[in-house]
Amino acid sequence: MEVKLLTEHYDKPEFKNIEGYKKHGGYEMLKKAFKMKPKEIIEEVKASGLRGRGGAGFPTGMKWSFLPDNGETRYLLCNADEGEPGTFKDRMMMEKAPHQLIEGMIISAYAVNSTKSYIYIRGEYTQSIRTIEKAIKEAYEAGYLGKNILGSGFSHDMDVYSGAGAYICGEETGLISSLEGKKGQPKLKPPFPAVQGYLEKPTIVNNVETLAAVKYIIRDGAAAYKKYGTEKSAGTKLFSVSGDVVKPGNYEVPLGYSLKDLIEKECGGLKPGRKLKAVIPGGSSAPVLNAEESYRATMDYECLAQMGSMLGSGAVIIIDDSRCMVDLLNVILHFYHHESCGQCTPCREGTGWLEKIVTSIMSGRGRPQDIDLLDTVAQNMKGRTICALSDAAALPTISFVQKFRDEFEYYVREGRSKVTGKQLRRHNNRGHHAEMHH
Amino acid sequence: MLKCTINGKEVQVKAGATIIEAYMEAKENIAHYCWHPGLSIAGVCRMCMVEIEGNPRLQIACNTKVAEGMKINNTSAKVKESVEWTLGFHLINHPLDCPICDQAGECGLQEYYMSYGKYNPGMAEQKVKKNKVVDLGSKIVLDSERCILCDRCVRFTSEVSKTNEFGIFNRGDHAEIGTVDGMPVENNYALNVVDICPVGALTSKDFRFKQRVWYLKEFETVCNGCSTGCNIKVHFNENGLYRVKPVHNEAVNGYWMCDQGRDLYKFANKEFRQIKATKNENGHVVTLSAGAAAKEVGAMLNKSSGLALVLTGQYTSEEYNSILSYAKNLSAEIYYWKNNPESWDEFDGILYRGDHNPNTKGLELELSSAGIKAKDLKDLYSAIESGKVKTVVVAAPEVQKNYENLEEVFNKLNKADQLIWLTSGRNDLFEKANYVIPMKSFTEKKGTFVNHKGIEQKISKGVTIVSESLSLSEIVELFKGNDLVGFNIPTYERPQLLGGV
Amino acid sequence: MFQLSADGKKKVQEYLKRYETKRSAIIPALYIAQQENGGWVSPDVVKHLSEVMELPMTHINEVLTFYTMFNKKPVGRHHIQICTNVSCSMAGGHDLADYLCERLGVVDGEMTKDGRFTISRAECLGSCDTAPVIQINIDDYIENVDKAKLDQLVNQLK
Repeated sequence: MEVKLLTEHYDKPEFKNIEGYKKHGGYEMLKKAFKMKPKEIIEEVKASGLRGRGGAGFPTGMKWSFLPDNGETRYLLCNADEGEPGTFKDRMMMEKAPHQLIEGMIISAYAVNSTKSYIYIRGEYTQSIRTIEKAIKEAYEAGYLGKNILGSGFSHDMDVYSGAGAYICGEETGLISSLEGKKGQPKLKPPFPAVQGYLEKPTIVNNVETLAAVKYIIRDGAAAYKKYGTEKSAGTKLFSVSGDVVKPGNYEVPLGYSLKDLIEKECGGLKPGRKLKAVIPGGSSAPVLNAEESYRATMDYECLAQMGSMLGSGAVIIIDDSRCMVDLLNVILHFYHHESCGQCTPCREGTGWLEKIVTSIMSGRGRPQDIDLLDTVAQNMKGRTICALSDAAALPTISFVQKFRDEFEYYVREGRSKVTGKQLRRHNNRGHHAEMHH
Repeated sequence: MLKCTINGKEVQVKAGATIIEAYMEAKENIAHYCWHPGLSIAGVCRMCMVEIEGNPRLQIACNTKVAEGMKINNTSAKVKESVEWTLGFHLINHPLDCPICDQAGECGLQEYYMSYGKYNPGMAEQKVKKNKVVDLGSKIVLDSERCILCDRCVRFTSEVSKTNEFGIFNRGDHAEIGTVDGMPVENNYALNVVDICPVGALTSKDFRFKQRVWYLKEFETVCNGCSTGCNIKVHFNENGLYRVKPVHNEAVNGYWMCDQGRDLYKFANKEFRQIKATKNENGHVVTLSAGAAAKEVGAMLNKSSGLALVLTGQYTSEEYNSILSYAKNLSAEIYYWKNNPESWDEFDGILYRGDHNPNTKGLELELSSAGIKAKDLKDLYSAIESGKVKTVVVAAPEVQKNYENLEEVFNKLNKADQLIWLTSGRNDLFEKANYVIPMKSFTEKKGTFVNHKGIEQKISKGVTIVSESLSLSEIVELFKGNDLVGFNIPTYERPQLLGGV
Repeated sequence: MFQLSADGKKKVQEYLKRYETKRSAIIPALYIAQQENGGWVSPDVVKHLSEVMELPMTHINEVLTFYTMFNKKPVGRHHIQICTNVSCSMAGGHDLADYLCERLGVVDGEMTKDGRFTISRAECLGSCDTAPVIQINIDDYIENVDKAKLDQLVNQLK
C-alpha cells in the first residue's frame, strides 16, 4: 500500500500555487520551525533517521552537523539535477509541489543557518524550472523568503540555477563546480563540501526529496516519521518505477516495502504473458538483481546492500524475459561513457572501453575472452577515482556478466542475441583490422 | 613535524605535508603524472596510489595528508596492480607513435612501463582519434592523441602565467587539451608547459627533431638573461647547446623560467660567436689567435695613457675583481655601460626583470669595494672627443640583443684612437675596432652572479665551444704578459663593505 | 561576426550580477547566445561572450564543450532529441530514432538539407514512466511517443 506523506496532495492542481498550497497547510511548518531552535531541528532530523534520497543515502542530520562553526557564509544547495537513468521523482515533486520543496528548504536553511540557497535543476527540465521560478517569486511576495522572514529575524534568499546537460552535475561536488560556472567536474575530497564547498564556503547539498521530507519531520516529529520504514531505513520513499510493468510511475511507499508488492500491487504487475527476468532497483548505477533476488528484496538500504546492490535514487527498472541483457548493458555503458567527465583516467578510459567491448560483442565480433575482460576492466575501475561514476559503470557490468553470463556467452558464440535471435547492431567499433594496442 | 613510515623507511615531514611529499622526502619512487610541486593538486591521473596501514581502500598520495605514525607503502601487490591498470588505462587510446615522438627517452609513459607495464593489455577496440600536430604558434606543437589529460598545462597557464590559454574541452574520452580555436600560446612562460608535460603532447618547436634526448648531456648553471638569475640546466653534446630547462630553486625561480631566458643558449653556440681575434690595420682586417691578440693589447696598454675601461653587468664577479684591480694599476677610468636603466625596476610579477643583466649587483659590489665610482658613458663620449681618452677597452655584453643601442655605442667609442672590443658574440660591426678578442660565454666559465636580491649564485663551466675564448680574468693575465698555464680563477669572496649593502 | 542583441546583452549583464561569481553567468549567457545564433554556438560567439563578460575564452569554451545542451555545430530549426536510455530504449527509443533518421535521410546528429531538423539520441530525460520521450529544442517533453505521433509532428513542424 502506498503511504502518501509527501505526495498526499499531488493529485490537486491547486497544490502548485501558493494559495492552493496554503489551503493544505502550506508554510505552517515554517512557522512551527521558527519556534524551534536551529539545533533542535537538526536533532529532530538526526533522530528521524532521514537519509539522503538522491542516491548515496547519507544521514541528513549528520551531514548538517559537519558544518564548521567559523562564521562563514553557508550555502544550501538543492540537488535537482535528477539524471540517474530511471529516476523521475524530483521532476514530479517540483512540478506538482514546488512550495513543498521551498518550504522544506527554508526550514533546512534555518536549521543550518544558511542565508542563501540555490535549486540546481537540470537544464532539460524546462517545466520544473518555470514552475520553481514562479513559486520562488510567490514565496518572496508572501514574505516567506527575503529579509526577516515572518518576523523571525531569519533572512534567506533563494535562486534557481539551470544546468545544461551533464549527468555528473548530480554528484554533489560536480554540482558545485557547475554552479561556480565551471565544467561540472567533481572535486577532490577532502575537503568535503560542508567544510569547503560552493566558492570554498561551507555548503550543504541535499536532494529534492530529502529537503521536502524535512517539512514532514517537523510536522509529525522524528518518532512519527520513524514509524515508517525499517530501523536503518526510516520514512517513506518515492520509487520511480519504469520498464516492463503495466502501470509505471512514481509510488510513495514506506522503506522496507516488498519489491514484489511494488511490482504486482502498485504497478499492476508485468505485461501479460511475461516473466520477470531482472530488476535494476536503484537507478542504472545499481547492480542488477535476478528474478529470484527481486522477489525476495525489500526496498530499503540494508536489504539491497546485502544483496550486493543499492537503493540509490529509488529508480526501479523492471526487466521481463523479452529483454536481451547484452543489449541493456550496452545501453547503460553507452550512457556512462557519454557522461564520464573525463578527469580521472580509469573512468575516462574505462567507460569507453567497456562500451566498445559490449558493442563489439553485439555486432558479432566478440571474442571468448571479452566476457572475462569486461569483468576485469570493471574491477579495476572500482574505487580508483574521485567520484562514483566509475563505480557506477563498473558495478552494473560486473553484475550483468555475473548473473547473465549465459546470454553473453551465447552472443559471443553465435553472434546473435540468445533472447531475440537477432544481431543488435548499433555501432561497430571493432573493425576487421582492429588496431592492436602495443 | 610528523613521523611516518614510507616503504619501511621512517621520515619526518612538516605538519600538513601530503604523502607524495613524504615520498619525495624519503627519496622513494612514486608514479605520478598530474601532481607537480609547483602547481595545485588535481588528483586525476590516479597513478600515485598508496596503501595506508589500517585503511582498506587505496588512497592517492597527492591529496592525502600525512598523519602522525602513518605507515604507508606503494610496493604491495595491491598497489602494483592498481598502478598497472591505471597506466594501462592511460595507454589504451594512446597512439603507437613512439618512434616519431620527440618525447621519446624522457616520456613518463615509457618510464613507468618498465615497472608497471601490463604487456598484454587486451585492448582490441578502435582507439579514439584526436587532433595531431596542432600548431600553437611560434613555440609549441600539440599532439592531442598523446595527451594523458594530466591538466598540468591548464593549471600552469591558469595559476602561474595567469594567461589562461589552455583548457580541456569536451568530456569523457573525447576530452582534449587545447586553446580556443587554436589560439597561439605566446606568453613569455609558454615553454614551461613543454617541460611539465609528462608525455609527447606538448613539444617545443625550437627543439623538435633536433636531437634524441639520450644523446644529450647536461650541466646546471644560472641564466644570464636578467637580474633574476633563474637556475637552469643546459642540454648539449659535442655539436653545441640544444636547449635550456629550469632547475628548481625556491628562493630564486621556483620551478620555472621565462622563454626569453630559455632562448639565450643560442648566443653561446658557435654560429653566433666570435671565434678568433681580429686586428684592424687601417681598414685591413687580420685574424690572429686570442692569446696573441691579448698579449699585443697588453703591451700596448702598458704604454698608453688616457685609458678607459667600459664594463657591463654581463660578467662574473670574479672577472670584475680581476679587471678592476688591473685597471686600477694602469690608472684607467672606469665607465659603466647600462642598457635601458630606466626600466631596470620593471618586473612582470613572475620572474622576468627589466634589468637584462645577470650580474648588475655583482658589478656594483665590486665597484664599491674597489672604491670606484664608475662614470657614465656620456662622459666617455666627451672625453674621447676632447682627446682626454685615447684607448678604450670594452667588456662588451654577451647578450647583444638586450643592448639595443649597441651599434650606436660602438660607433661612438670607435672614435677613440684605439678600441679594444672584448666579446663572446660575433657582429660584423666589430671588425672596425682595432682589436676584437673572443670571450667566453656564460656556459664556458666558472664564477658568480649576484642576483637582484643579492643572492650569490655559481655558474659553472659546462662546455667549451670556442676553444680560444677567454674570461676577463684570463685576459688580464695575458694583458700582464703572463701565460695561462696553471692559471686558476680566484675563489670569490663577497666584498665586505662598510655599512653593508 | 556574432553580436548579442541589445536585449541579450542586457540579460547577460543581469546574469553577471545575479550570482556570486561572474563565471556562473557563463551557462545562462550561452543559452541566450545560442538562441540568438540560430541554435548553436560558433567560435565567434565564444569570442564575443568573452569580450562582453570579460572572462577568458578558455573558461567559456570549457563550459560550452562540457554540456550537451549547447550545440557546437549548426542544428535544424527543430532539434529532435529522442531518449534512448534504458526505459526509453526498452519502449522503442532506438527504433524511433532509426525510423526518423531514415525518413529524413540523415544520420544521428546530422541536419536535414532544408535546415528543418536535426535528430539526436539523448540520454535519460527523466520521464521513464511515459517512455519513449522526446524533447524538441529546449522545450517541454513530448511523452509516450510512437511512430504515428512522430510522423504527425514532423508533418506539422515547418
